[in-house]
Amino acid sequence: VVDHYENPRNVGSLDRNAKNVGTGLVGAPACGDVMKLQVEVDENGKIVDARFKTFGCGSAIASSSLATEWVKGKTVDEALKIKNTDIAKELCLPPVKLHCSMLAEDAIKAALADYKLKQESNRESDKKADNA
Amino acid sequence: MGSPSAAGRERGGAAKGLAATSAGVGTVERSRKLVVCVPQDPRVLDSMLPYLTAYYGNPHSRTHAYGWESEAAMENARRQVADLIGADSREIIFTSGATESNNMAIKGVARFYKSRKKHIITTQTEHKCVLDSCRSLETEGFRVTYLPVKKNGLIDLKELEAAFQPDTSLVSVMTVNNEIGVKQPICDIGEICRARKVFFHTDAAQAIGKIPMDVNNMKIDLMSISGHKIYGPKGVGALYVRRRPRVRLEPLQSGGGQERGLRSGTVPTPLAVGLGAACEVAQQEMEYDHKRILQLAERLVTKIMSEVPDVVMNGDREHRYPGCINLSFAYVEGESLLMALKDVALSSGSACTSASLEPSYVLRAIGTDEDLAHSSIRFGIGRFTTEEEVDYTVQKCIQHVKRLREMSPLWEMVQDGIDLKSIKWTQH
Repeated sequence: VVDHYENPRNVGSLDRNAKNVGTGLVGAPACGDVMKLQVEVDENGKIVDARFKTFGCGSAIASSSLATEWVKGKTVDEALKIKNTDIAKELCLPPVKLHCSMLAEDAIKAALADYKLKQESNRESDKKADNA
Repeated sequence: MGSPSAAGRERGGAAKGLAATSAGVGTVERSRKLVVCVPQDPRVLDSMLPYLTAYYGNPHSRTHAYGWESEAAMENARRQVADLIGADSREIIFTSGATESNNMAIKGVARFYKSRKKHIITTQTEHKCVLDSCRSLETEGFRVTYLPVKKNGLIDLKELEAAFQPDTSLVSVMTVNNEIGVKQPICDIGEICRARKVFFHTDAAQAIGKIPMDVNNMKIDLMSISGHKIYGPKGVGALYVRRRPRVRLEPLQSGGGQERGLRSGTVPTPLAVGLGAACEVAQQEMEYDHKRILQLAERLVTKIMSEVPDVVMNGDREHRYPGCINLSFAYVEGESLLMALKDVALSSGSACTSASLEPSYVLRAIGTDEDLAHSSIRFGIGRFTTEEEVDYTVQKCIQHVKRLREMSPLWEMVQDGIDLKSIKWTQH
């Protein structure tokens, strides 16, 4: 956890308006945890890049940093299989910090859901353009 | 006040002075913090050593020289504590610490007068042991009013006056708050209580030896004192119990009747001697310490606030003890900042340091927004804090706040001009 905190991987942002970027924003400042996770997906459904930004404790930062490392190179469906328990085990999170890993899992799912939504709405608008 | 002892200060300088501590609920303490627990002043240690080695007699044994030596030392310590607060030695009871003193004062007074008086007044920002004692009294059938505080952390005197009932037995308000450092208007509260003939107790653990206290000028009837908050040993404290007019209380501990029957149990001579010495040293150093700490505190706050935007100081800027500073760094979460400043000993008011997701109740009582409460850090400056330590802390703090803000989605959104309050966050 300390390593991920002091040397976080993939901090930053992708262009949220890009067609193949999915953005997930989960959590609430009132709870002390907010994670933003972004994924860039290529035409084959593989995640080629991921970035995160987190407002939260060391474990939250580590969980989201690890999440970006894990999703890279996976397909969308494979990434959806990542479970919070895997993240927690990898980081050896104590019970009191498990919600950080859950939030990271939520962030991955939210980002991928956003991406899927974008793809569908793009297909819709492409179809309309074709039919016009 | 005498001139400071240079020798003592030099020896004490070896101890790491600056500590940032947490204002959280159930926090895990990492390393030394000068607000919550402090290094012992070496002069105090020196005074205690003989009683840990050679003079080990029981101070309550009346029949032999060992006992007499210890008793003399204990009574001398009692006088030293009394002198610090303008009391008589006979009014000082040794306890195991301020927690016990608070319990004794609140439960003891309430239970003694319970046949006629069943109401107690306190505040929402008191230390946990005071709040918990009140809660336990509520289960015994007492009624408790928990006064709210204003945004600056101080109570409203008019609300206090309005809270009195015909059967109020006790008012308990702490002098200096341990999380945000604000100083309550003790003299005014004392006047109000005396006029209504209601006993006034104050938890002075954070104030004793740091600001002048006088139980007669301030019309205080009971006062809790903590050894380890004034560079004395851990495990000892005291309770001041006024004799004129007489405050009666039901003892918590039954036994051999030591300490005027109010607190049975052998008084730990070395610890009591340490407490006494700490009080005497504090009295000598108070003026010098206060000036120095004020200067260091201003240095810390000014430097941080000039370099970093969106920093809020929690609690009134004027009515405070300068050595306890609580700052909220917007858009940065407290525990993550703590990890960065780990060699300065920090804890925060954020939920992550407690088992629940609730932030500090003191910050909530002063009306701090929840997200700012998660972003707060308490800095403690004390007798042994050096200017280098302050500068080091400031530099690290600025560096890491900037770094963490770069990593924060909230900061990013604010930079883009988004109003965070307008966003509908997901439920967690």
